[in-house]
Amino acid sequence: MRAELRSSTPGHISVPDPNPFDTPHGSLSGALKGCLGSLDGACIEKLLLHCATAVEANDATLVQQVMWVLNNIASAHGDPNQRLTSWFLRALVTRASQFCPTAVPSATTVLARARPMTATELVGYVDLTPWHRFGFTASNGAILKMVQGRRKVHVLDFSIYYCTQWPTLIDALSERPEGPPLLRITMPSARPPVPPYLNVSTEEIGLKLANFAKSRDVALEFHVVKATSACSGDALSGHSNFLQELASCLLDPSSLGLREGEALVVNCQSWLRYLPEGSGTAMDDLSSRDAFMELIHRLNPCLVTVTDEDADLDSARLSSRIMSCFNYLWIPFDALETFLPKDNPQRLAYETDIGQKIENIIGFEGEERTERLESGARFSQRMTRAGFESFPFDEETVGEVKLLVDEHASAWGMKREEDTLVLTWKGHNSVFTAAWVPSGYDE
Amino acid sequence: MMELDNSSVMTVSNSGSGEGSVSSSSQLQLPAPPPQPPPPNPVVKKKRNLPGTPDPEAEVIALSPKTLMATNRFVCEICNKGFQRDQNLQLHRRGHNLPWKLRQRTGKEPRKRVYVCPEPSCVHHDPLRALGDLTGIKKHFCRKHGEKKWKCDKCSKKYAVQSDWKAHSKVCGTREYRCDCGTLFSRRDSFITHRAFCDALAEESAKKGPGAPTSDPKPPAEEEKATATEEATAAEEATEAAVETAPAAVAAAPLPPQQVDPLELQEPAEPTKLPQYMPPPSASLANTSGVTCSSSSSSSNTSLFASLFASTTSTAAAHSTASFSDLMSVMGHADRPLTEPPSLCLATNGGPASLFSPQAQSHDRRPFAPPPPSPHMSATALLQKAAQMGAAATGSSFLKGFGLDASSGQQENIQDDGLQWGHHRGQQRQLEPEQAPMLSAGLGLGLPYEPDLMMGSSSLFGSKPATLDFLGLGMGPVGGTANGGLSALMTSVSGGGGGGGGLNLGSGTAAAGWEATERKPSSPAIR
Repeated sequence: MRAELRSSTPGHISVPDPNPFDTPHGSLSGALKGCLGSLDGACIEKLLLHCATAVEANDATLVQQVMWVLNNIASAHGDPNQRLTSWFLRALVTRASQFCPTAVPSATTVLARARPMTATELVGYVDLTPWHRFGFTASNGAILKMVQGRRKVHVLDFSIYYCTQWPTLIDALSERPEGPPLLRITMPSARPPVPPYLNVSTEEIGLKLANFAKSRDVALEFHVVKATSACSGDALSGHSNFLQELASCLLDPSSLGLREGEALVVNCQSWLRYLPEGSGTAMDDLSSRDAFMELIHRLNPCLVTVTDEDADLDSARLSSRIMSCFNYLWIPFDALETFLPKDNPQRLAYETDIGQKIENIIGFEGEERTERLESGARFSQRMTRAGFESFPFDEETVGEVKLLVDEHASAWGMKREEDTLVLTWKGHNSVFTAAWVPSGYDE
Repeated sequence: MMELDNSSVMTVSNSGSGEGSVSSSSQLQLPAPPPQPPPPNPVVKKKRNLPGTPDPEAEVIALSPKTLMATNRFVCEICNKGFQRDQNLQLHRRGHNLPWKLRQRTGKEPRKRVYVCPEPSCVHHDPLRALGDLTGIKKHFCRKHGEKKWKCDKCSKKYAVQSDWKAHSKVCGTREYRCDCGTLFSRRDSFITHRAFCDALAEESAKKGPGAPTSDPKPPAEEEKATATEEATAAEEATEAAVETAPAAVAAAPLPPQQVDPLELQEPAEPTKLPQYMPPPSASLANTSGVTCSSSSSSSNTSLFASLFASTTSTAAAHSTASFSDLMSVMGHADRPLTEPPSLCLATNGGPASLFSPQAQSHDRRPFAPPPPSPHMSATALLQKAAQMGAAATGSSFLKGFGLDASSGQQENIQDDGLQWGHHRGQQRQLEPEQAPMLSAGLGLGLPYEPDLMMGSSSLFGSKPATLDFLGLGMGPVGGTANGGLSALMTSVSGGGGGGGGLNLGSGTAAAGWEATERKPSSPAIR
């Protein structure tokens, strides 16, 4: 894997010069850049780990030293390794400023936030690579299959992608032989404070969606669920707010506006990772992902679709997280490198969003560390524990997904792991998607 | 030297005679590189196998870009003529059988050839760093300087890999979906999704007033609904409610009684104004690059850092407020103990520009750094030097090495930040009577592509009181293992040794205190 990111001139550190100080000061950094720029992923990973260790040990000196070296590698406009390094370095600075303040004063850190996108920009964003549409296509396929013949369909949408998944479902429903159902899409107003950021409200998105549905002769009702209790706002972090709101609307199912006789579908797209692990039993911590699944189960949906990224980025140990992040997030950086130029704004925006994720995973702990991704295998176990059984994708859906993947760069691939579909980049797992039905589902 | 037909070749002899003899063919496309003095001998001898450390006796050949990019994969070593097929090359090679007596006349073995890169900014342009084999220089040039992106003719989409480009070309233009806004899509799902969110669709429905012909004849009820929806939109946008109420599923417009399809758009009473969606306009507009004080002061509170993460409002505002100056002003107001060691003076460009700010040129060309000379340092040596320089150099001269200058940096800050900065500076002055001011450095983490993103791009702000030198070395321990940590790092980073001095993929010795987690062995590329 890391072989992919090596420079084309492997092992390219040249002869040690006995008198490096003969070079003028002004060129030192340039020299370093030239020298360190060809370090491969393994070395960078080592350096990152060293930095983490130093931070954990509160060794300010070593922290600074390693950061100094890393900073000479890092470049947001360089090759994928350099870009990754730059984001990791930022995250480490963020962390050091909190946990090892002698090394880096907190005022040094600056958090990265990409600017909010327009709706059409967002659509382009999710279509840069098959990363997102992979899950969309698979989930929509499962939904279509499950709601065959049903006249009323209600989708509960838990997703950070602002309904970009639904136009294709609406389109497919409009072409059903038996005609489209009455479609309802409901989503919570609560959304984790993570990218991508949109510059319009959810309601506006709903309007556009409704307009589009109308143009396809599909009746659509779009509904945003607000929290039942007013949140205290400032006292809580954005993430806590989110969790509270979410829990409150799930605990009061009437707020979801469920109706008799409708086929209820729950869609979890890049969502579950933001719910805390929880401790104890599912219902001990109402904001936990187990509690979420339990509450969903109680709604008796006919289908639950789950898509998320296939990696374990939630280890309690910082060094493990650094390693797993580095060994996973190289994938989107590598993918973008293959077809977008270095300074392409879309690429940079996308990478910034990943950078924000890295920053959260590495820079923070406790409640502030909101990204708690677990791999598909673990999610599957969780779903089983929560009383769901897997619902296999039908061949037509699999074919569609395959077609999607094939239309992108040849390094994208797809594989099946039991009833889960996994998007791969150069053979490495990137995104998983699966569908579930409650065990003993009663119609 | 031989005159050649097909390739542009120019050879420069640097056998030490002191004079350059240059011959060029009529197709020469390069100016003649000046004759080079013989490279220094001593260091090179051990490292003969490394690229870029040529045999001083070798003949330096400079091929033109055209030759290097040529797809003739089979190239005659003697005259550099290229062939598409190996058989042709072999046939050609037979013609190079020089008579024995001619060889004797030259008096020496045919000299080894090394090749330089024609790109002047490239490190391999220097004959001292020439590459030893023709294939190598061709590959190098194609990858590094050649047009390595394959570009689709029809849509200008670029690909780095030929097979991807081919695959795309098959599809491109064959199935084209066109949105009313003019964007083209090769995939239907992208097209559908775009169309749903494109403003063009909204305008189109607005135009579909009563009686407007559509492809799908609609019952009149729907057309009324269309108008109703538009009214609803207008009404909804005009409404602003301060308080969020209980789950509001309010039909925003009255619907005609006879509904064939119950098309209802339920809207809450007021638009949700989540900060992620709509950051305060002033915040996003107020910023230029670098260091200006942001207008939004909401984050200039005591726990700036926490607030940057905490409330979503601040998150949005952080677009604009995360300027270093603001952070520094917070520092000033927060009554921090001023004996903090200097912050990380990481390499940045001079002035507000940072390493992360947009670079028009490649990362090799920092404005303050001359084109890369010959970096001959191993990573181990680098870390060593880092340690030594920290101890040996005075603060400001070391920083000058990064193109930073204490005084110039501060001046810029003063201009930009006015009162707040002045306040802080005053504090700083008190504490550094004798030492050269150290510059605290943000990492210069400006995001390059978005000019109104406010990032603390400059690292020249706010000298921290410098009780310690740059790397915190040699001036008393700051948090423990000063050199111990460094040597452990170097040991680990330099790996298992072997090969030229440098970083290997070797498993490396575990660093002190670092429990080596299980690492996958480096595996070959998986495709």
